[in-house]
Amino acid sequence: MRKELPMFIGVLAGLAVIFDRYFVLGRNLGLTATLDDWSVVMDGMMFAVGFINLTRLHYLNVKRRRAGFIYSIVLLVTMYGYLALALYETVDGPNATFIFDNVFRTMGSTMYGMIAFFIASAAYRAFRVRTREATLMLVAAVLVMIGKAPVGDALVAGWDPLAEWILNVINTGGMKGILLGAYLGAFATALRVLLGLERAHLGGAAK
Amino acid sequence: MLKGLFLMAEAAEELPSVLGIFIQSVFVQFILVLAFLGIVYMMIQRARAGLPVPEIRKIPGLDALDEAVGRATEMGRPVHITPGLGTVGAAETLAFYALLGHVAKLTAKYDTRLIQTNRNYLIYPIAEEIIRQAYLEAGRPDAFNADDVMWLSDWQWSYTAAVMGIFRAERPAANIMFGYFYAESMVLAEIGNQVGAIQVAGTTSTAQLPFFVAGCDYTLIGEEIYAASAYVSKEPVLTGTVVGQDWGKVFVFAMILVGTVIANFSETNIIKDILNGVW
Repeated sequence: MRKELPMFIGVLAGLAVIFDRYFVLGRNLGLTATLDDWSVVMDGMMFAVGFINLTRLHYLNVKRRRAGFIYSIVLLVTMYGYLALALYETVDGPNATFIFDNVFRTMGSTMYGMIAFFIASAAYRAFRVRTREATLMLVAAVLVMIGKAPVGDALVAGWDPLAEWILNVINTGGMKGILLGAYLGAFATALRVLLGLERAHLGGAAK
Repeated sequence: MLKGLFLMAEAAEELPSVLGIFIQSVFVQFILVLAFLGIVYMMIQRARAGLPVPEIRKIPGLDALDEAVGRATEMGRPVHITPGLGTVGAAETLAFYALLGHVAKLTAKYDTRLIQTNRNYLIYPIAEEIIRQAYLEAGRPDAFNADDVMWLSDWQWSYTAAVMGIFRAERPAANIMFGYFYAESMVLAEIGNQVGAIQVAGTTSTAQLPFFVAGCDYTLIGEEIYAASAYVSKEPVLTGTVVGQDWGKVFVFAMILVGTVIANFSETNIIKDILNGVW
């Protein structure tokens, strides 16, 4: 029953969505909207589970003085401190907003900025003339990078259109081919769940 | 409640319909869904009857999973696995669950530590249960450590920073990234390279595939991740669904060809009109 009941609920929910999508009665009943509302409630409950797990994990780090336990203290103080602040003056309050905008967003931007350096190190490793495919990737990358920079067209007229052609024709064609297969694969996966064949998410092997 | 729902339905707006039952704008799509379902069902029945079903071609990334776990075992370092930033019910995450069970069984068998990190708090309890069950089925329930399955943060870069910290501290020898990723894919791939981990990645996100191809040892591209559950389990029934999916691709290719020819000789997009129920 531990696996059959969740599977049954999943199949029922899937059929409800199909009914809403393709049938007049289903659309008028608004079953998908009802399911969306229920999922919001479940989201809240599961967030609490994750919150408790995070607290437990870092509390144990501190209690057992594991390596880096100082960071666990910082996390717990920050997490509960911000929670208390948000409860006191709401999430839109002046101090909560200040911390979010000036600390959290800034750190997120910093992380995003690191990508440029990581791309450079990955490109240094990947763009080497070892195989035919790697050489092709290197040539295409150089053409596109120089073409998209102002210097490309200044050096050789027509470089930018070439880079555009590589991006719009070759690259886009490849991407759409991958997406096509991915969408069909996702459909087949969803079908397996609907038919009860895919049980990995229930903690068991597929049937 | 049901009576109330039906009363609400009666008062609702009339939609253009076919036979008063099916919504006209998506009726042809429904027929195509049923056709696809029929093909898949036929392949499943064929597999169940013991008739030959085409095999899935070799996928190096999935074959490398055993190698990755084995390497981690030899080096005495953990395996890290993550579903990325996908949502709990996304198809990529469903594919991840199948792979997670397989990897967890391997780590249980070889007595290797498995660290599983999550960005989505909904995925965390499901992943924990999958790993716990896998260890139980492998006969090693004592080896399961719930502290190694963790929800780190709901925010993209907080999660990424936390994973970077875990990589610096634990130095996993294998990094498996399977699911839907955004910009953090590059960071995760690079931090894995910096600690010397063998990396197997799979995603349907076309924007992130180039980063994985550049940064990882093995990359599963697009639909290959959906074949994971069939590939690792070798179940004929699941392989049948993959074959059905390939037949669906053949049909779509045919539609593209027909549509391209029509588009060159006609001003109207007939196929689009038919699919959208405009007739």
